[in-house]
Amino acid sequence: MFDHGQPSYADVNKDILSTMLETGPRYWMLLGTSMSVAGIFFFMPWIYQLFVGVGAAGMNRNAVWGSYLSNFIFWIGLSHSGTLLSAVLHLTNSPWRKAIYRSAEAMTLFSLITAAFFVMVHMGRVWFVHWTFPIPNQMGLWPNFRSPLMFDVMAITTYLTASSIFIYMGSVPDFAAVRDASTGLRRRLYSIFSFGWRGTAREWHTLGWAYTFFAIFVVPLAVSVHSIVSWDFALSAVPGFHHTIFAPYFVCGAIYSGTAGIVTVMYCLRKFLKFEKYIGQVHLDSLGKLLLTLSVIWSYINILELFSTWYGGTSYEIEALMFKLTGFYAPLYWEMILFCAFVPLLMLFKKIRWSWNKMLLISVLINIGMLTERFIIVATSQPRKFLPDSFGYYVPSFIEISITIGSFAIFTTLFLIFIKWVPAISIYEVKETLKPLRRDA
Amino acid sequence: MAIMGTFMYEEDFLSAAENLKTSGFDNISLLSPVPLEEAQEVLGLGKSPVRRFALAGAIIGAIAGFAMAAGTALVFILPTGGRAIITIPPYLIITYEMTILFGVLFTLIGFHFVSGLPAWRDRPYLPAANIDRFVVVVEGAEADQVARAEAIIRDAGADEIRHVEVDQ
Repeated sequence: MFDHGQPSYADVNKDILSTMLETGPRYWMLLGTSMSVAGIFFFMPWIYQLFVGVGAAGMNRNAVWGSYLSNFIFWIGLSHSGTLLSAVLHLTNSPWRKAIYRSAEAMTLFSLITAAFFVMVHMGRVWFVHWTFPIPNQMGLWPNFRSPLMFDVMAITTYLTASSIFIYMGSVPDFAAVRDASTGLRRRLYSIFSFGWRGTAREWHTLGWAYTFFAIFVVPLAVSVHSIVSWDFALSAVPGFHHTIFAPYFVCGAIYSGTAGIVTVMYCLRKFLKFEKYIGQVHLDSLGKLLLTLSVIWSYINILELFSTWYGGTSYEIEALMFKLTGFYAPLYWEMILFCAFVPLLMLFKKIRWSWNKMLLISVLINIGMLTERFIIVATSQPRKFLPDSFGYYVPSFIEISITIGSFAIFTTLFLIFIKWVPAISIYEVKETLKPLRRDA
Repeated sequence: MAIMGTFMYEEDFLSAAENLKTSGFDNISLLSPVPLEEAQEVLGLGKSPVRRFALAGAIIGAIAGFAMAAGTALVFILPTGGRAIITIPPYLIITYEMTILFGVLFTLIGFHFVSGLPAWRDRPYLPAANIDRFVVVVEGAEADQVARAEAIIRDAGADEIRHVEVDQ
């Protein structure tokens, strides 16, 4: 489990807490840069769009959904591996989860927040966002619960709530460690955050049970969230959207891109927070095998999607299929196939799975492929509905491209703030993987 | 007053806890930097009542979810192509999500209720118990029992024994 020898309990506290309590100029530079990029690339174009209307985006009459929604799906997808993987590995008692789950869960939370931004950007008049919630409003009406968009609101708010509680409760013992290691205002704050945790057998016992129940609730929830996101498309009668395979396709794709995202985040944590001692080859190898399995499942579902469309033989579905494979966006489609179906096969080789740099490259390529996948679903289907007189093209505007770039900066900013407020690796769970100090040893 | 015994080794700590328990000390707390199943067994902690909160939350959430969707449909009637006003399949999705939401929220309430956290008063604690030490705390011991408790803790191999005042 540990590449550089087993640390002591005290070492674990010291190593992990020092990343929170000691801050160098490099951190501030990185935070300043990512905040500036978020401001310039995301918020300024958004404010501009609020003034001039959603016409600033490249969406038009046929393509009323564009890159904002494909980005929304991408970020919801990226959120999937964190909490889901953490919950599944907790329930199956996998020891390699313990060093990586905290940051993976944070990834879930911040991806969800970024995804929520895209809903607001897409909706245009963001000041009416409360109309989507089942709360009294000035129209005296409640939302229509038959709509898949309402399923989305319910699923995503539930997922955000459950993920926040899951990561917070798992961090309570570590908040107590921060409290004990700090002074002044920080100590007072973490006394509140940790609820006065002492680590008694009763507290551990209750937390263990509660945490297991959170995990039990989170697993079906995560599966439902991306199934429901897929129904935004699949429940409509648009060629290219209306597929029964969409729910498993989206869930598999979400876990796939989320796992690739975890590899990227782990690489950065190792590199910048010096966590080589805790995040080692065993984690990379396990994630590599998981990614490989997911890539094969993802490829299989893709082939099934093509087959079922071809076998159905409906003229407009065949037209949508041929447009995807050979039309305007065909280069993007084949790029996606290359990055998500073929490149990951390199992980069959242990030499690749054990190389951090190569795995970083593969994980980034997978997520480029997955971002493209979501774009292709939206961009090749809606502008090609049924009759040729309504056929058109959708190309994202500069505003949309800028907002897409800015969203990555929002995620980075949130993550950088997170690592200074919450131990990026679970202190007590890493200690659990160590052999206890025994008198006879 | 409380007696606190600090241990370096897990097995000494567990042996002190077991001996205190068999000697009739009931008000003991076992502080450790990691969860220890053996310590929970010494205190006789079996299945946690948290699970009842989770179940209750899930049931209430399911009922509330369906009632919200069906109730909304009945208050704001929206006839669609001759379909039923209360349409079961889409409302089951709302029910499903609310089941999970309430299950999670009630589990959270259950955690706070059962664990007694947040703690509103100072309790005997050593920061080392969150790093690499195991601590046995005996509270509410009568004057004649203090020496006996100390002896048990010392015999088990405690590094240090302290007496601390406890807020009532």
